[in-house]
Amino acid sequence: MTIARIEKLDRLIEASVSAREAQTGSLLRQSLRRLKRSPMAVTGGVIVGLFVVVAVLGPFIAPYDPTAQTWGKEVFLNRNIFPGPRAENWFGLDHLGRDMFSRMIVGARQTLLVGIVATLIGFVAGAALGGVAAAAGTFGGRWGERVEAVIMRTVDVALAIPMLLLALSVAALLGPSLSTVMIAVGVAQIPIFARLLRGSMLAQAHSDYVLAAISLGVPKGRIVVSHILPNSLGPVIVQATLVLATAIIEAAALSYLGLGNPDPGSPEWGTMLADAQRFLSGAPQLAIYPAVGIIVTALGFTLLGEAMRESLDPRLRRQE
Amino acid sequence: MAVGLFTACGSDGDTGGDADTAEDFDFSCPERTDGDPQIDEAANESQPFVFGTPGDPTSLDPILASDGETFRVNRQVFDTLLDADCTDTVPGLAESFEQNEEGTEWTFHLREGVTFHDGAALDGAAVCANFDRWANFKGGFQSPNFTYYYSSVFGGFAENDPAMGVEAESIFEGCEADGLTATIKISHYTSSFPGAFTLESLSIISPDSIAAVADVEIPAADSPLPEYTQTVGTLAGTGPYKLQDWNHSEQEVTLVRNDEYWGEPAHVKTIIFKTISDETARRQALEAGDIHGYDLAAPADAQALIDAGYQVPIRGVFNLLYLAYTQGHAPLEDHAVREALSYAVDRQRIVDSVLPAGGMVATQFMPPSLEGYSEDVATYDYDTEKAKELLAEAGQEDLTLTFCYPTDVTRPYMPAPKDIFDIIASDLEAAGVTVEARPITWVEYIPTTRSGECPLYLLGWTGDFADPYNFLGTWFAAPSTEWGFDNQEVFDTIAAANTEPDAAARVDLWKTANETVMEELPGLPISSSPPSIAFAPNVYPPDVSPLTREDFSQVSFTTGS
Repeated sequence: MTIARIEKLDRLIEASVSAREAQTGSLLRQSLRRLKRSPMAVTGGVIVGLFVVVAVLGPFIAPYDPTAQTWGKEVFLNRNIFPGPRAENWFGLDHLGRDMFSRMIVGARQTLLVGIVATLIGFVAGAALGGVAAAAGTFGGRWGERVEAVIMRTVDVALAIPMLLLALSVAALLGPSLSTVMIAVGVAQIPIFARLLRGSMLAQAHSDYVLAAISLGVPKGRIVVSHILPNSLGPVIVQATLVLATAIIEAAALSYLGLGNPDPGSPEWGTMLADAQRFLSGAPQLAIYPAVGIIVTALGFTLLGEAMRESLDPRLRRQE
Repeated sequence: MAVGLFTACGSDGDTGGDADTAEDFDFSCPERTDGDPQIDEAANESQPFVFGTPGDPTSLDPILASDGETFRVNRQVFDTLLDADCTDTVPGLAESFEQNEEGTEWTFHLREGVTFHDGAALDGAAVCANFDRWANFKGGFQSPNFTYYYSSVFGGFAENDPAMGVEAESIFEGCEADGLTATIKISHYTSSFPGAFTLESLSIISPDSIAAVADVEIPAADSPLPEYTQTVGTLAGTGPYKLQDWNHSEQEVTLVRNDEYWGEPAHVKTIIFKTISDETARRQALEAGDIHGYDLAAPADAQALIDAGYQVPIRGVFNLLYLAYTQGHAPLEDHAVREALSYAVDRQRIVDSVLPAGGMVATQFMPPSLEGYSEDVATYDYDTEKAKELLAEAGQEDLTLTFCYPTDVTRPYMPAPKDIFDIIASDLEAAGVTVEARPITWVEYIPTTRSGECPLYLLGWTGDFADPYNFLGTWFAAPSTEWGFDNQEVFDTIAAANTEPDAAARVDLWKTANETVMEELPGLPISSSPPSIAFAPNVYPPDVSPLTREDFSQVSFTTGS
C-alpha cells in the first residue's frame, strides 16, 4: 500500500515539475479551485474540520468529566451489566462507570495530538534527511554522492521494514507512554518523507530555472534553500495529510497493544478500544464507538489527502 | 438485595441473591451435588484430558517451587506426608501422626507398600533423606528465590549462607527413621505444624532421585534453576501420575497414569497441562473443544459458560487481595495518611462489580474461615469526607503517590488487576490524592514490589493450609522491604500466637494479632473471593479446593447425553 502510494506521489513530483515549466497561471490557485469542486475533498474537509473542532473544544463541550467514575456503582463487569445509551449518558457508560460520550469527545484531542506530532516528527526528520541527501547528491561532488548513497540506502532498508513493526520496536525501546507512541509512529514515517523530498528535489534540480540560477552564479546553498526546496514541498505536504490518517490508525494500534499512555484514566481512542475488547461479548458498543471514531477520522484525512494530490496533479485535471 | 433482573423464562427454584456479610458465607466445602460420574472408560484410555493453565510451571523439583502453577503439576506427581481435604489436614503418605506435648516432635506412621515411580520403596529413611537434604542445602539453594517455603516454615538451614539473606536460625533439629516411621524434631513449637506438612514444596521424592541430584549446585540467588528441574526423568515421586514430557516451546506438560499408585488410581490415562495465558483465549479454547477445562475464568464469563452447559464449580474462599502501603515512601509513615487512604477506597464496589460472585470485603489480613479471625478489628469503612479531613489534618492535601499494578496476569485473588487499580485510583483521586500509575509486567512485579520500590501496590495470597500464620506470618513476622514498617508490637504478637501450643489460647492470640495489625495498618485488606475454574460438559471435574489444590486423578470423561 505504501509503495503504491509512493509511486503515485512520484508521478505527482514529475507532474508538478512539468506544470511549473508550463507555467499556465498560478498552480496553487488552480488547485484550490479544483479542490472546492471535488466531492471527495469536501467530504474529507468536513470530517477533518468537525474532528478538529471537537478536538480543540472537547474539554469545554464534554457534558461530564471523562475520568470521573460517577456511575461506577451501576456497572457490573462480573455480570456483564453495562448501562447503554440513555438521556443523561448519550453513549452509555464504560466499564468503570464513566460517561462514554464525554470520553469520546475528550479522547479526540489526544488522537489529533498524537497524529499531528507524529506527522511533524516524520516530516521534519524525513525532510531533513531527504533534503540533505538530494543537496549533497546534486551539488556535493563525489563525497556528496557517497553521503547521499549512505542516507538513501539506510532509508530504503527502513522502508523495507513493515511500518507497524518499526513503530513497535521503537515503542518497546522507550517504554509505554503517549510520547512513545508519537515518536514511534513519527519515526516509522521518516523514510517515506525522506524518499519523497529527495525525489522531488532531484526532479527540480534538473529544471530550467535551476540551470538559469546556476549560470547566473547564485551560490549552491542558496539555490537549494531558496529555489529547489520551496518548489519541492508540494508532494511532501500532500503526503503529510495522508500520513495523518495513517498516524491516527497506528497510534490507536500501539495504544491497543498496550504501548500507549499508561494512565488508564485518560481517554484515548486506541486505549478505549483495547479496554473494550475484554467486554466485547457483553458490551460491544464500548468497542464500536472508538472504532467508528478512528475509522471516520482516518477516512476524512485520507479523502482530503487524496483530493489534494489529485488537484495538484495537472495530468488528472479535467477539461475546464 | 439486588436479584438478577433477567431470569430465563420458566426458571424455578432459583434462590438468586447476593451474600454480603461474612455470616452469609459457607466456607466449608459443600458436598458435591453432581452425583457419581458416569465414567467413559474408553475415552479415559484413548483421549488425553487437556487443562488450560494461566501460566507455566517453573520447576519439577517441588522444593524449589513457590507458585500455584508449579504446585498444580507437582501435586499430581508427588505426595506429601499429610494432605488437605477442603482446608482440613488429612492423611497423605503418612496414615497417621502424633506429636509430643510441646509440639517439638512429630512422628509419622507411613503407609505400607508405597513405591516411588522409580521402584524405590517408601520408608522412614526415605522421608528423612528428604528432610536432611533440605536442611543441608548450600549456596543458592538457600535463597528464598528457590526455597521460599522451606525457610518460611523452618526458619533457616543447618549452615546459613549469609550471602543468601537467610538469617533466622533453623528450627529443624533432625529426623529419625525407624522402619515405616519417621520422627521430625524441631526446636520449638510453631502453629504452622502440622499444616506445613501438606505443603506441595515439602513433597517427598525418591531417595535415588536425591542421590542423583546430590551434586547439583546453585551458585547464586539470581542463578537460573538447575537443568534437572526443567526436564522429566530425574525426580521420581509417589503420586497418581508420572511425568512424561515437558515441552517448553509448546508450553505443555504431559502426565501419564501411575498404575502402581498406592491410592485410588486415576481415571484418565493422560493429562496435559497446557499454558494459555490470555483468559479470553482459554475460554475460546474450551468452547472450541481444544481443552477440557481451565483455571481462572473471567468472572463475567462464568455465567455465560454455565448457560452454555459448561461446569463452573464454586471454590471455597481462601485468599486475600490487599493494597500495600510501603512505608519508607513519605508520607506513608504517617498513620493518619494510611488511615485516610483506607477510608478513601470503596472496597464494596470492587467486590460487587469486579470480583466473582461469592466474594466479600476483607476487614483483616486473613479470610473469615480461619480461627483467629477477629470481629473487633478497626475496619476503615468507605468515607471520602473522612479521608479528606484526615489528609488535611496531616497537611497532605497535595499528596502524590505512585501506584503499581501488574499488567499481563490474572491471579486467583485478583481477576482483573487493571480494573481494580482503576477503581482504587479513582477513589483516591476523589479524596484529593494524585495517583501516578505504574504498570509492571508480572515477571518483574513480584521482585519490584518485594524490594519496596512501589509506594502503593496490589497483591494477594492464596492460603496453603488452614493456619493464620500462613497469612499473617507470611507478611508481618519480621521487618521486610515489601512493607517497610518496623513495629515490634506487631512482630511480637504474631510470634506469641505462632509459638503458643495451647489451641484455645492461640485463637485469642491470633485475634489480638489481627487487631494489632489493623491498628498498625500496613496496608488495606480488600477482598477474599473464590477463583473460578471451568470444565467441559462431558467431564467429571475434581473436587474443587479453596487452596486451588485440585487432585486431577479424580477427573474423568463421562458418558451420557
